[in-house]
Amino acid sequence: MRAKILPVLAYMGAAATLVLAALTPFVLMGYFSRLVAATGIHVDPVYTGGTVARTLPRGAYQIDIYSPVLPHALQHVDPFVQIAFRPVSALPTHFSEAIDLDGDGQPDVQVSFTLPANAKLRPAGDVVALNGKYQSFRIPVAGSFSQLMVEANGAMLLRVPLAEGNQP
Amino acid sequence: MASSAVLRPHRPAPTFRSVGRSLLLTLPMALWSLLLFTPSLREPGRNAHIGAAVVILFMTSLFYMMMRTGKTSRWRRIFFVTLGVLFPVGFIASLIHLRGSMSISLAHMVGGDTPFCHMVIPMILIPAALTRTVIFPGSILPTATNPHSIAVMIALWLAFTLVMGKAWCSYGCFFGGLDEGFAALPRHMRIRKLDARLRLVPWALLIVVALLSAALFEPFYCRWLCPFKTITEFAAVTSLETAIQMVIFISLFVGLVVVLPFLTRKRTQCAFFCPFGAFQSLFNKINLFEICIDREKCVDCTLCRTTCPAMALSAQSIREGKTLLNCMKCGACVDVCRKNAAVWHLKGTPVAVKPERARLLFLYGVWAMATMLGGGIIANALATLIGFLPLS
Repeated sequence: MRAKILPVLAYMGAAATLVLAALTPFVLMGYFSRLVAATGIHVDPVYTGGTVARTLPRGAYQIDIYSPVLPHALQHVDPFVQIAFRPVSALPTHFSEAIDLDGDGQPDVQVSFTLPANAKLRPAGDVVALNGKYQSFRIPVAGSFSQLMVEANGAMLLRVPLAEGNQP
Repeated sequence: MASSAVLRPHRPAPTFRSVGRSLLLTLPMALWSLLLFTPSLREPGRNAHIGAAVVILFMTSLFYMMMRTGKTSRWRRIFFVTLGVLFPVGFIASLIHLRGSMSISLAHMVGGDTPFCHMVIPMILIPAALTRTVIFPGSILPTATNPHSIAVMIALWLAFTLVMGKAWCSYGCFFGGLDEGFAALPRHMRIRKLDARLRLVPWALLIVVALLSAALFEPFYCRWLCPFKTITEFAAVTSLETAIQMVIFISLFVGLVVVLPFLTRKRTQCAFFCPFGAFQSLFNKINLFEICIDREKCVDCTLCRTTCPAMALSAQSIREGKTLLNCMKCGACVDVCRKNAAVWHLKGTPVAVKPERARLLFLYGVWAMATMLGGGIIANALATLIGFLPLS
């Protein structure tokens, strides 16, 4: 009995793989992609910067303050907070503002930078910590995932590392 | 002993089927190619038209030759090496078009512009299962600047794997064609004796890479060990660490993809190093197609064992009439066997009863997928290359 059923099942399976191959480019690719996305997986916040905690409207542009990103135990990245200035096209050439990062009503860092006229050049300026929670650094910075200033997706992204004593 | 068997140059392809029957069997694949590439033919742009037309002819002709001669690997290899050579051309051109450089900067990584590659899949599984986090700087869904998103590439791999299992390594992987090409260049092996334990290296590497990636929360293989960073994209060299990485990538590429395949006639990167290949071997267990040895016909000449580019046959496995788990289903052993003892097999059916039927069922599925992915890559690369030609 088994010897008769197995080949039938095998040929049915083989036919199913042919159907799968035929449907993949037209139907299944989109379905599988949505299925993967629907699992709720997300890209590590070390790369994306995490989620926006508050938005500060500034007329033509806005400043998005992200929740602090706390890397995993053995990850070679320091904790940081991302700030996004968007859109870049609406930013003033010279920007300087004291920004409250943790939402306690007190400014935490003084961010100052100048956007170069030539888009290929990098902005110059500095980030000055106004309390012991964050680290100061000059812009342009050599760059790491926790300390950078780059333009991406139409926004100027700034990452301010947490001070060592303030890290979990 | 396997090493004593001398590899003879290919003889002229024997006629296996009539022209009419071969054409008839090729017709579905010709229609499939037309269906896939007709949209490209309708789009504006002469280069894309030429690329698509060439690919339709190329893939259909190779399939016809498989039908006509009864040989698989010889014709598959032409496609696979072409894919391996042309993939970097199209990929690098698209990188330079999108971001002006082969190197990837922090801005591109935080912007989600890193194309996702199948090699990353074994590394992201543990962190994704535990934290739903993908430890790779791409984007989940496609964007204007990154069509090769994580969800799309995983979906593509999933479909391929269900259809072909480990045959991905011989029909789908856009990297493997390079070491197969270098392995095919020499007429004789310079290094004949290879330790059978080399087969275990990819498994060891898979475990180490998967665990380290989960612990460090970064794709360890991509950061430190991937030979193909040399010809695709790499982190911009901005520090001693990235410089060391670059040296490792180039050394591994030269050693594993160029020199060792040339000396051994084996796919050394794929068979003895690639952790994704080991991971993919697991899917041979659930895939319906395999290659078996018909013990009644086998004369233990060991030609199949010598020819196998992945060392997926051992004396014991031949005695048991099976290939090992790392068989890439390239068909080289079937092509070379003079006694027709190495045969394609559909699991659940009697061995060697209707091997050609099993081969056809396998080839239709696998070639359809290969045309979709590899054909698309080749067409894109051809269109790019034609764009460089000084034509009026």
